[in-house]
Amino acid sequence: MLKVEHVSKQFGDVKALNDVSFSIADGEIMGLIGQNGAGKSTSFHSILNFLKFDGDISWNDAPISEDVFDQIGYLPEERSLMPKLTIEQQIVYLAKLKGKKAKDIKPQIDQWMEKFAVKGKKSDKIKDLSKGNQQKVQLICTLIHRPSLIILDEPFSGLDPVNSDLLKQAVLAEKANGASIIFSSHDMSNVEEVCDSLVMLKTGNVVLSGNLDEVRGQFGKTELFVATDWSIEKLWELPMVNTVEPLRDGRFLLRLDSEQAGPAIFDQLTKGHYIEEFSQRPPTLDEIFRMKVGEK
Amino acid sequence: MKKWWIVTSQTYMRQVKSWSFFLLVLMPFIFLGIGVGIGYLGMNSSTNHDKIAMVSSNEQLRQQYIKQNKDDINGKYKTEASAKKALKHKDISGYILIKTDAKKVSANYYGDQNLSNDVKTNLQLFLGQIQQNNNLQNAQLSPAQTASLATNFSLKEHVQKQKSDDSTIRQISFWILVGMVYMILINYSSITAQEIASEKGTKIMEIIFSSTSAVKYFVGKISGVMLVILTQIAVYIIGGGIALEVAKKIDLTKDFMHDNSHLVNGVVENLFNVNLLFLFLGVVIYTVLSALSGALVAKAEDAPKAAQPAIMLSMLAFFATFPFVADPDVVVVKVLSYVPFFSSYFMPIRVINETVSPVEVVVSLVILLATILLSSYYIGKMYKGLMLQTDDRGFFKALKSGLSYK
Repeated sequence: MLKVEHVSKQFGDVKALNDVSFSIADGEIMGLIGQNGAGKSTSFHSILNFLKFDGDISWNDAPISEDVFDQIGYLPEERSLMPKLTIEQQIVYLAKLKGKKAKDIKPQIDQWMEKFAVKGKKSDKIKDLSKGNQQKVQLICTLIHRPSLIILDEPFSGLDPVNSDLLKQAVLAEKANGASIIFSSHDMSNVEEVCDSLVMLKTGNVVLSGNLDEVRGQFGKTELFVATDWSIEKLWELPMVNTVEPLRDGRFLLRLDSEQAGPAIFDQLTKGHYIEEFSQRPPTLDEIFRMKVGEK
Repeated sequence: MKKWWIVTSQTYMRQVKSWSFFLLVLMPFIFLGIGVGIGYLGMNSSTNHDKIAMVSSNEQLRQQYIKQNKDDINGKYKTEASAKKALKHKDISGYILIKTDAKKVSANYYGDQNLSNDVKTNLQLFLGQIQQNNNLQNAQLSPAQTASLATNFSLKEHVQKQKSDDSTIRQISFWILVGMVYMILINYSSITAQEIASEKGTKIMEIIFSSTSAVKYFVGKISGVMLVILTQIAVYIIGGGIALEVAKKIDLTKDFMHDNSHLVNGVVENLFNVNLLFLFLGVVIYTVLSALSGALVAKAEDAPKAAQPAIMLSMLAFFATFPFVADPDVVVVKVLSYVPFFSSYFMPIRVINETVSPVEVVVSLVILLATILLSSYYIGKMYKGLMLQTDDRGFFKALKSGLSYK
């Protein structure tokens, strides 16, 4: 289990992290979300001991030091490999630095390249690969030594939907193997699809954290999707309706002040009218993100 | 496998497999080979049309002369007519016609240039020998008289070692040594600074530092470069030894090597002693300084700029030796022969001139080695702080920030 307890970090006058705490259990995937400069990379750098900070970070109840480096797989935000090496040399070199033997890693390379659909041969030089393939090779380097703590900084950045799915499958496979996984992302749909829990940062402060369902539950089923012949003006007049947004397919999205307003609105809409759809849901993570980090 | 050794072997293999290393190491031998090749070709081409033919009605005598002078004689032409024709076509530079009868041997030379002194001397000796044999036969002497006449004189050379030779040996040894130190360290300073700066730019250091400690990585990196330097020196020692042996045997150089054996041996002795250790450690300490400089830049394009401190310091030390090459006893030389970064240039001056005791040499080496180890450890400690900075904050601010990294 990874525990981050009351971690603070100051760069000059800027407080990059302010009393940040969270934990990730074995076999759990946590999403770390926030705007640029919210403190996501600083959190990762603190976990990896790249920075000195106030507070405590431990992995399986021991401080993170060189002794546990072999158990960590880290993918930095900016992709970087050694361009003059071949795919095989690059993977083997980094795996050896993680305490693995070349003879154990080499036989697995083909299988991993197939898993991530890397185009090319393992004897191809990194510099000759496309950007997307370089990214996949770096993901292989992060995962091939079977780490029990996986830290992925913006792993979906630059990947097309097909490759994003390959990554999601790989991440879920590692979760099934019992790894603790933390990743940052700007794309909330990826977080919703893969994560068990999330921590939302805003200017170094945790503004939201917890199990994904619980977090969404905190906001209630305040979103109402309706397909009706009511005009938009009439919908605005309904009680406890905050906003009305026409959708492209002729439906409307009504944002309510309270989940409890739903039944009363249903009664009014169905009086003498046929409604094709009436669906009350909690807000999406993207909407929660916009609400919490202050984008209106 | 130890992680520092993984970094060492990776750094070493990448360097020695590169074309630049291959060319760097082989360049002196390539130039040497080209020089010898041109000399050989020149010698061969000039020999072909400078050769002369030997013609004689006495075939046995003709063959005997050709055998003794095969470098000067073209044995293809057996008759006077064919030799005359070859001379006309400038296939030979001349021909010797030897005639013998019971009493006298006579020779005539026909050619478009004079006989060379060597050929003339050899011909005179050969003819003298034949004529003497004829004379002895005609004189019908007893065996004792024949033996008495065969007694020859004795000539031995006794050459004393001259002081002026030693001075030349010292001068040549010094210039070869400092030249090697300067060239090798300029090269490795640039390579090291470039390599480290390029890694910093790519941010692969974040992955590396999530796998091993910065001290181990830094020590591994420097050890890798050290092995590359050792490889280069080893190639020079082995290649130089082979070249010397070859030079002693081939016609083109064997006379020079024989005539100057005292000089050659003296220079070789001065190079292959403790000075080699100063060369090696000198290159290593400048490499450590370059590694620090490389870690202080923000991007790979600035690497040439980063190597400047090491290169400038090396130039300063190199040029500072010039006034003292023949003056090893002045205080400046004595002091600087103990100062790291300078000792690799100044101690060899004292060693070559034999004005330093073994104890002083060892003290200088210990100071140099301790400086390398301590500075490597200290730089290794702040290496993580330096390598993880990616903002272009300037050389001195980056250094200050690295020094304050805890």
